This record gives sequence, structure tokens and C-alpha cells, in this order.
Amino acid sequence: MTELALTIVFLAVLFLLLGSGVWVAISLIAVATVGMTLFTSRPVGDAMATTIWGAASSWTLTALPLFIWMGEILFRTRLSESLFKGLTPLTHRLPGGLLHVNIGGCTIFAAISGSSAATVATVGKMSIPELRRRGYPERMIIGTLAGAGTLGLLIPPSITLIIYGVAVNESIAQLFIAGILPGLMLATLFMGYVVAWSLLRRRHEDQPMKTDPGRWRDVLGLIPVLALIVAVMSSIYTGIATATEAAVLGVIGALILSALQGSLTRASFIDALLGATRTSAMIAFILAGSTFLSLAMGFTGLPRTLATWIGEMGLSPWMLILALTGFYIILGCFLDGISSVVLTMAVIEPLVRQAGFDMIWFGIFLMVVVEMAQITPPVGFNLFVLQGMTGKDMAFIARAAAPMFAIMVLAVGILSLFPSIATYLPDAMSGR
Amino acid sequence: MTTFLNRLDRTLNALYRVCGYIAALCMVAIGVLVTTSIVTRLSGLYVPGLTEYSGYAMAAGSFFALAYTFVEGGHIRVELVLGRLPAPARRAAEIWCLGVAVAVTAFLAWYMTRLTWFSWQFGEYSEGADAILLYKPQLFAMTGAIVLAIAVLHHFVKCLARTDYAPR
Repeated sequence: MTELALTIVFLAVLFLLLGSGVWVAISLIAVATVGMTLFTSRPVGDAMATTIWGAASSWTLTALPLFIWMGEILFRTRLSESLFKGLTPLTHRLPGGLLHVNIGGCTIFAAISGSSAATVATVGKMSIPELRRRGYPERMIIGTLAGAGTLGLLIPPSITLIIYGVAVNESIAQLFIAGILPGLMLATLFMGYVVAWSLLRRRHEDQPMKTDPGRWRDVLGLIPVLALIVAVMSSIYTGIATATEAAVLGVIGALILSALQGSLTRASFIDALLGATRTSAMIAFILAGSTFLSLAMGFTGLPRTLATWIGEMGLSPWMLILALTGFYIILGCFLDGISSVVLTMAVIEPLVRQAGFDMIWFGIFLMVVVEMAQITPPVGFNLFVLQGMTGKDMAFIARAAAPMFAIMVLAVGILSLFPSIATYLPDAMSGR
Repeated sequence: MTTFLNRLDRTLNALYRVCGYIAALCMVAIGVLVTTSIVTRLSGLYVPGLTEYSGYAMAAGSFFALAYTFVEGGHIRVELVLGRLPAPARRAAEIWCLGVAVAVTAFLAWYMTRLTWFSWQFGEYSEGADAILLYKPQLFAMTGAIVLAIAVLHHFVKCLARTDYAPR
């Protein structure tokens, strides 16, 4: 068989397995096994065991379960309540009123949790019923939550960024720091949209929205969580702690915060721990499978061929970014964020490096693009979460999220025009 | 026969749960190890191998949790097609998925066992500052891989035997 035919077999097996519902990690291992058997005469099974053991016992990866654990602890506190009450006095005078609580709440929760689904669930738990009660239009409640929830991937700690960092061998600490400004930029864009919507909307288009000034002393309730965020981020930024050490700091801080709120019980502790165990096992398994797939891909020569081929096409960096954006959005129609990152990195990494992109910048770009895919049907995890929480149908939720998608396209444009938004802070850090 | 099978089912489920709890303990162990490394570093002490140990705890925890996560429905899959199939076709698809999973997890368990076996045979040491015999942490990973293969096989058989099988 020619190389091309083999490549087609390889891809066909991958899509067949994934599409028919075989678990992602298991599909990756199966495809890698098929690929290695077709392309090499090396002992496949032994190569697999060595690679998977190496991937699973890597020290850089230890930040992952710890950050997941931190998020799980805080998910079980009364944080959604204190976020809502604390942000109400700060935002009710802005045009768009309490819709900004959704965005602000997601921004804050994103800074303690690495998952966008958890971000949407935590903030929405309190804000959906409260905003409904005050007569805010459903479309805007859902839209802002769907959009701002995606900040979970961009604003550190981010599980997907850790995975990217491990896959391309870049510093997780620097990737985290690089995510801060773009995350805040995106949050600002979302808020700008709410302001513009509020100023432009026709009167009596919906029910009147009741604003409620809230109590100023509730703002103090935000202090513990903000202190936790500042402690974790500054320990990474100043270089005092590695990402893993900062994660332990985060776990300890989360336990203290949970104890202070009186929500740390034996049951909630065990619940959080087991939840974190399951999530990290799921991710570690996918990551192990993808490491083996990368190895197999290396033998096929597909990444190199593709990188040279794209290189010979003489695409401008802009064209390449455009093509990759489209590629990841289409991929995101079928796969979740983590799977689409791990699945493609073996092929995309050499291509991107050859094109001369900064890998830290590319990581941030990738997060925004993968986030966009999270709010597009048919597979958008944030949309599923919102569907469960609001009982609206998928089409309505997807339409509500559409303006946020457009804003994120804008954000990708800005990020490409001004790459220093992502690279300024990590460059200013020591050691780069 | 049925009582025996029911008892086997219960015993196996208990096994997965215990493995899940061990994995949770590994998570706590990672936290303790990293905290120790911070504290000892701040007080000017050096304890060799702490980072390697947390890596092993990570590997042990990940592998031990695999079966537990599997039976709890924690592993990600694409349900785009699967969720839209009518009941009989859905069951056929589940059998196919579980069949592939049985093959892959058995393959994984076998080669993880071989890896551990060779590490033990050749007395391989780790390359890090901890310098321990590699087969020791690998034993944990091997056990986790074997239990995963058992769990997947368990569900495969269950799916074949019962028409009302519903995955979690």
C-alpha cells in the first residue's frame, strides 16, 4: 500500500471508532495500535506500555488532578450564592444590570476552576432563577452564561491549558499567566456587548427588568475567593511556586474557604475527592492514549508530510490561522475541547512550529477557538449544561449563544493582530 | 447459578469501588507529597525523590481509578450517533463499543503486566533522584489496568446477557 492509502485507513478507523461511540481514550489506543502495526515492524504492545507509563507518571501532570480537586471542593461550597450577592451591588447600575453578574461571576469562578462546564453550572445555579425572577430576558441570561462560561478554559487554572502544555512541552506556569489578559479582554468584550444591547434595545421589548441594589456588605463576601485567586496566581507569576505547587496551595485554600463557609463536611469532602478522582482518571486515560497515538503518528510520517505540504503551499500566517480556526470549530462539532486538543497536537504542533508561531501564543489562540466550539451545536458541552439547567431546547440555547460566538471570533482577530496581549505577561515573567 | 452471578456482580462492583477509594487516597498522597516538598524547600532541607514519588502517585491513582470511572460512566465518548439510535440498534452499538473496549483494555492490561515483569526481571531502577526499583510503582499501574479489563469484560458480558442493559 502507498503511504496515502495507509493514511486514509488510519483516519477511517479513527472516525469509525469515535463516531460509533467507543470511549475516546480507548479509540485512541486502538487507532494507534492499528497504525503502528501497519507502518512499522516494531513491537507495538511494548511501545504502548512504555509510552503510557511514561505519560501517566509524568510530574508536570500532577498539577492536573490537584487543580481539578480544587475546583471540585469550591463547586460544593456556597460560592454561587456569595458570587451573586457580592456582584449585585457592583453591577446593578450598569446598563444591562445584573446580566453583568453572569459575566463577572464566570470570570471569577474561571479563575478557581479549570472547567467551563463547572463554571456555567456554578454561576448559573444561583443567577438563572434570580435573573428570571427579576424579569431579565431568557435569551440574554442564557447567552451571557454560555459565552462567559467558556472563560473557564482560558483563565487559569485551565485543565485544557495543562493538557496543551504537556502535549507540546511548554511551561504550564507561562501558559497560565498568558491566559490572564486575553481572558479579561474577552470578559470585557462580553460586558461591552451587554451594555450595547441594553442601550440599543427597544423599550418594552421584554418584560421590565427589576434591578435590585443588593447590600453593599455582601461585597465583602467576595474577598476570600479573590484572595485565593490572587494567592495562587501570584505564587505562579513571581516564580515562588511551580504550577503543581500552586495547585496544592489552591487545594488547601479551597478547603479553608469551604470550612469558613461551613460547607466542609465529611460527605462533601469525600464527594469532592471522588469527583476529582473520576475526572482526572478520565483525562489521564485520554492523555495516555493520545501520547501513544502521537508516537504512532510519528512512525506514519503523517505530521511531517502535512507540515511540509502546508509549508509548500506558502500560506500567509493569517490564512493558516483562519484555516485552523475553521478546522477546530468543525472538529468541536463532534468532540469536546480536551479530546480535540490531544487528538490534533501530534499533527498540528510541527506545522505550527514550522510556521514560526509562538507556542505560548498559539496555546491561548487554541483555547479561544476550542471554547468557541463549546458553544456551537451539536456537541457543545456548555450548551448541554445550560439545557439541563434551563429546560429550553437546544436550538433556542444555540441561538442565544450565537452573539457570544461572534464576539469570540472578534477576540481571535484581536489576539492575532496584537499577539502581545497573550505574550506580554509571560515575557515579563522571569526565565523567558 | 443466578445467585452466584448476582454475588459475583456485587463483589466485582465492590472491587471497583475499593479501587476508586485507593485512587482517591493517591490524590491525597500527591497533595501531601507536594506540600512536603514546599515545606522542606522553604526550611532549607532537601528530600530526594519527592517529585518522582508524586509522579508515581499520579500514575497509580490514574490507573486505579480507571475501572471505577468506567462503571460510573466517567469516561468521555461521542454520543452524537449513539443517543439517536432506537433501542435495539443502540444495544447492538453498545455491544460493538464494549467489544472494542474489551480487546483494547485486555491488550493494555497484558502489556502493562509485561512491562512490570521485565522491570522486575532486569531489576530496573528509575532514572530520577529517588532511585527505586521501577517495578514497585508499576505494580500499581498494572493492577489498575487489569481491574479495568475485568470491569469492561464484566459489562460486555452483562450487555450480551441482558436486553435491558443500560450503560451509565
